[in-house]
Amino acid sequence: MTDNGIIALAAGLVMALSTIFPALAQGKTATAAMEAIARQPEASGDIRTSLILALAFMEALTIYGLLVAFLLLGNIG
Amino acid sequence: MFDIALIGSFGAADAADHYLFHIAGIGVSPYITSMWIVMAFLILISFLATRNLQWRPTGLQNVVEMAFEALLDFLGGIMGKKAARKYFPFLATIFIFILFMNYSSVLPGSGTLPWLTTPTTTWSVTLALALCVFFSIHYYGIKEKGLGYFKHFIEPYPFFLPLNLLEEITKPLSLSLRLFGNMFGEKMVGMTLFGLVPLLLPLPAYFLGLLFGSIQAFVFTLLAAVYISTATSGGH
Repeated sequence: MTDNGIIALAAGLVMALSTIFPALAQGKTATAAMEAIARQPEASGDIRTSLILALAFMEALTIYGLLVAFLLLGNIG
Repeated sequence: MFDIALIGSFGAADAADHYLFHIAGIGVSPYITSMWIVMAFLILISFLATRNLQWRPTGLQNVVEMAFEALLDFLGGIMGKKAARKYFPFLATIFIFILFMNYSSVLPGSGTLPWLTTPTTTWSVTLALALCVFFSIHYYGIKEKGLGYFKHFIEPYPFFLPLNLLEEITKPLSLSLRLFGNMFGEKMVGMTLFGLVPLLLPLPAYFLGLLFGSIQAFVFTLLAAVYISTATSGGH
C-alpha cells in the first residue's frame, strides 16, 4: 500500500465518519425541536433560534472533518 | 514574516493565495482588496441611508431601519433588550460584514478577476474576526464586572480551571473554523462542479452556498452574542 493510497483512504474515512455521527445527532435534535414546536407553537421563534444554534455546533464537527480531509488531500503526491 | 495570506490554503492551490502588491512592506492579497470592496459598499449604503434623516423614513432609510429593527429584536431575544442595545454596533456590524463577504462569491467576476474573491474562504480573515470577538468578550466582561470577571474561571470548582481555559481557547478556534470551513467547502464544491460541467451545474451549488452563507453569518453573530451575554451577566 503506497503512501498516497493510505493518505487517500484516511481522507475518505475522515469524511465518512465525520458526516455519519453529526448527521445522526442533528436528526435527533431536529426531531426534538419539531415535537416542541408542535406542542407549543407560540414558542416557535425561541425554539427555532435554539435549534439553529445546536445544529451549527454539530455542523462544525463535520466541517472540522472536512478540513482535515482537505489537509490530507493536499499532501498527496 | 508569516505568509499570512497563505494560512488556510490547505494544499489546494488557489489563484488568490498570492500578493497583488505591497503597501509599506505588508502584502495585499485579493482577500484584502475584496474586503475593501465590501467595506466601501457598506460605507456607501450607510452614508446614503443616513443623510437627510426623516421621522417618516422612506426609501433606503426605510430598508436600513427595517434591517436595524430586525437585528435588534433578534439580539434582544438572546441578550435582553438593554444589553442588546449596548452591544448592538459590534454584533450587527459583524453580522452584516460577514453576510456581505459571504455573498461576494456570487458577484460577477469573483474568482476570475484577480482582485475579487470571497474573503471568508481563507482562515486568515475568519480568524481575525473570531479574535475580535474573543477580545471583545473579555473586554466587555471586565468592563461590566471589573476584575471579579476572572472569578468565573474557577467556578464552580477550582479544579475546573484548565477546562475553562480550554473552553476560552476553543471559542475563537471553533468560531473561525466553522465559518472558514463552510465557505471554503462551498468554494471547493463550486470549483469542482465548474470543472465538470461549466454551464449550469454549479448553479445549485451556488444557491446552497448563498443559503449556508447567510446561516453561517447568523450563527457567528448568535454565538458571539451568547458568549458576550454569558461573560457580562454571569451564567453559572
